[in-house]
Amino acid sequence: MNKTLIIAKREYRAAVKTRTFLISLILLPVFMGGGMLVFTLFKDKIDVSDKNIEVIDYTGQLGLDLKEKAEFWNLNHVLNEEGEKIAPCYNIILTEPDTAAPTEQKLNLSDKIRGKEIHAFLQIGRDVIHPRQGEEQSEMFYYAENAALDKVRDWISGNLNNRIRELRLQELGIEQERISDLFHWVNTEGMGLLTMDTKTGKVIDARKSSQLQTILVPYVLLLLMFMMLMMSAVPLLTAVMEEKNERIAEVLLGSASPWQFMMGKVTGSLAVSFTTSAIYIAGAVFTVNWMGLGDMIPYHILPWFFIYLFFNIIMVGSIMAALGATCNNSKDAQAIQFPAMFPIIIPLFFMMPVIIDPLGKLATGISLFPLWTPMIMLLRQSTSVTIPIWQPIVGLSGVMLFTIFSVWAGSRIFRSAILLQDKRPATKLLLKYLIKG
Amino acid sequence: MSNIIELDHITKSFGNSVVVRDLSLNVPKGSIYGFIGPNGSGKTTTIRMIMDILYPDSGVIRIFNNVQTGIHLDRIGYLPEERGLYKKMKTKELIRFYCELKRVTDPSREADHWLAKFDLAASANKKVEALSKGMSQKVQFIITVINKPDIIILDEPFSGLDPVNADIIKEAILELRKSGSTILFSTHDMAVAEKMCDFIFMIYKGEKVLDGTLESIRKKFGEDTIRIQTEAGMNGLRDIGGISNINDFGQVQEIRILPETDDMLILKEIMSRTRIKKFEISSPSLNDIFIRIAKPDKTNNHE
Repeated sequence: MNKTLIIAKREYRAAVKTRTFLISLILLPVFMGGGMLVFTLFKDKIDVSDKNIEVIDYTGQLGLDLKEKAEFWNLNHVLNEEGEKIAPCYNIILTEPDTAAPTEQKLNLSDKIRGKEIHAFLQIGRDVIHPRQGEEQSEMFYYAENAALDKVRDWISGNLNNRIRELRLQELGIEQERISDLFHWVNTEGMGLLTMDTKTGKVIDARKSSQLQTILVPYVLLLLMFMMLMMSAVPLLTAVMEEKNERIAEVLLGSASPWQFMMGKVTGSLAVSFTTSAIYIAGAVFTVNWMGLGDMIPYHILPWFFIYLFFNIIMVGSIMAALGATCNNSKDAQAIQFPAMFPIIIPLFFMMPVIIDPLGKLATGISLFPLWTPMIMLLRQSTSVTIPIWQPIVGLSGVMLFTIFSVWAGSRIFRSAILLQDKRPATKLLLKYLIKG
Repeated sequence: MSNIIELDHITKSFGNSVVVRDLSLNVPKGSIYGFIGPNGSGKTTTIRMIMDILYPDSGVIRIFNNVQTGIHLDRIGYLPEERGLYKKMKTKELIRFYCELKRVTDPSREADHWLAKFDLAASANKKVEALSKGMSQKVQFIITVINKPDIIILDEPFSGLDPVNADIIKEAILELRKSGSTILFSTHDMAVAEKMCDFIFMIYKGEKVLDGTLESIRKKFGEDTIRIQTEAGMNGLRDIGGISNINDFGQVQEIRILPETDDMLILKEIMSRTRIKKFEISSPSLNDIFIRIAKPDKTNNHE
C-alpha cells in the first residue's frame, strides 16, 4: 500500500476508534441545531397568565372598542374545548388621560408595571383616526418591560388598526357588510417550477415552495460543510503541532517523506469527514423520509456536496497541516488558529444574503473565490433557483487549481518547518520556504 | 571496500549561521562509523541531510551511489536523537504500522520476533504510554531496524538507557552489522565509540576535525600521554615542569606532556616525591582527544 494511505489509515483509525469521536458525532449537530430545535419545540409554549393593561385613551372611543374586543377574546379564545387554558385573558382598564401632568401619569403607570400590578399600559393618541405626520397625538404607544417582543402588543395593534380602518370606512359611507371583504387578505402562494418527466413525457406540477425548505436545506448543507472543516481539517493544525512537539514527526520521517507524512494526515482527515458526513446525511434522509417530508431532500445536490467536501478538506487541511508544522507548542497553535480559521468562517456571514438572492452579483462573485466556492456555491446550488451550469464548473475548476497550489505550498512549508524547534517562523521566512522549498 | 554513503563538500546554513561547512565523508559498506562532536556541532543536521529531511545548500550527498537519497528510504533505518511514539497505540500495533511503512513482508511475524528478542512480548498489547522509558527506547530501536535496512543511522542510540538495555542494543547493532548492515551512529560516550566503531568522525563547529580509524587518529596525536597511579595521587604531581595538562580521575591521573619533553625526567621527578604503583606511556584516549579539540582554550589548565 502507498505510504500516504498507510499513514491515512492509521490517522483514520486513531480518529474514529475513540469515544471522543462518537460523542462529537452526537453532540455537534445538537450544538449546531440545538437553538433551532429548542425554538421549534417551545414556540407554542406561550405565557397564559392574565394580563392587566391600562389604556390612556385620548380619542375617548378606541379604548372602549378595545375593551369589547378583549371581552370577546376572553370568552372565545382563552379556553379550548376541553376547558384547558391556552391563552391569557386580557383585562383592559380604561384610565382618563391626565392632560395637566401626562408625564407623571405615565411614570406612575410605569411604577405599577415594575410593581407587577399591571402588565403594560397603552397610550392612544387623540388623532390616530386621522393622523398627522410627526405628531405624538397621531400615534399609539405601548409601554411594557419587554415591549418589543411582547405578543400583547401585536394583539392590541392588530385589533385597534382594524377598528380604525372600520371607522374610516364608515365615515366614507361604505356599508358594514362590505367591510369584511375589504379586509380579506389574499395570500400569494410561493410555487416552484413545473417540469417534464423525460421518460413519460408527463408534466409534473409545481410544488409549494415553503420558506422553511428554502432556508433550511441550504442552511443545513452549509453548516454540515462547515462542521466537517471544523472537525477534520482545522484540528490538523494542533495534531501536527503535537506530533512535532512529541518528536513523533522525526521518527515518522525516517520511514516516509514529508509529503507522504502531510498528505497521509490530510487523507486520514478526509476519510473521517466522509464517514461523518455520510452518517449525518444518511440519518437526515432517513428521518426526513420517516416524517413524510422526503420531497424536501435535494438528492441532486448530494454528489456536489461530496465533491466540494473532497477538495475543501484537502485544500484547508494542507494549509492547516503546514501551519501546524510551524508551531512548537500549544501557545503558538492558539495564536495562529483564529487567523487561520477566519477565511473559513467568512462564508457564514454571507449565508442569508446568498440565500435571499442566489443569482445576485455578490453571491455569484464570492462563490467563484476558490476558498469559499465549496461553501457558497453549494449554498447557491441548494436553493430553489437554477444556477447557470458554467458557474459550478468554473468554481470547481478554481477549487481544484487552488487545492493543487495549497498542497504544493503546504508541503514546502511543512517540510521546512516540521523539525524546526526554535520560535515560530515569521511570515517572511514562511515565504522563503514557499519559494525555495 | 566501496562507499555506501558519500558526502561531498556539504554546506548547510540556517539564516546567517553556517551549521555544516564544506563537509566531506565516505562511509564504507559494512562498517560501523561513529559520529562524535560536542552539542550543536552539526551532527544531527548532517544526519538529517543524509536522511533527505534537510537539503544541503551546496555539495552532493550520494547514498548507494545515487544522488536522490529520498528514494532509498526503505533501505535506511533512522533513529533520531529526540524520538517519540504514538502513545495511544498498542505496542504491537505500532510496530506493525512501521512494518507496513517499511514494507516488511510479514509484519505480524516480524513484530513478534523482535518483541520476543527484546523481552517485550508481554507488553505487546499494552499501550505505548504504559511502557517504561527503557521499554519505549527498545520499541524505538525495533521500528528502526525491523526491515533489516542496509544502512542504519542512529542518533544517540544509548542515551538514557541503563547498562543492561544499552548492552542489548549494542548486541543488536553488532548482529545487524554482521548480517551486512552499515551502521552510522552518533554518541557522546567515547568509550562506546572506541570499542564499537571501525571509523570515527568528529565534527566541531560544523567542520570535520577527525576522520579515520581509532588507531590512525591516536597515532596522529602521538604518544604524549602518561597514565599514572601513585600513593600521593594528584598531590605528587603538582608543579612538575614539562606537563601541559593533568586529567585527574581520582585513582588514576592522565598527564599530557609538552613536546620535546623527556618522559623519563618526569618519571624521575615523581619517583622522588611518591611511590609509583603504575606508569604507562601511551597515545591519548578518544575522550582526551575530544576534549583537546572541543575545549582548546582550556587545554593549558589543569582539569
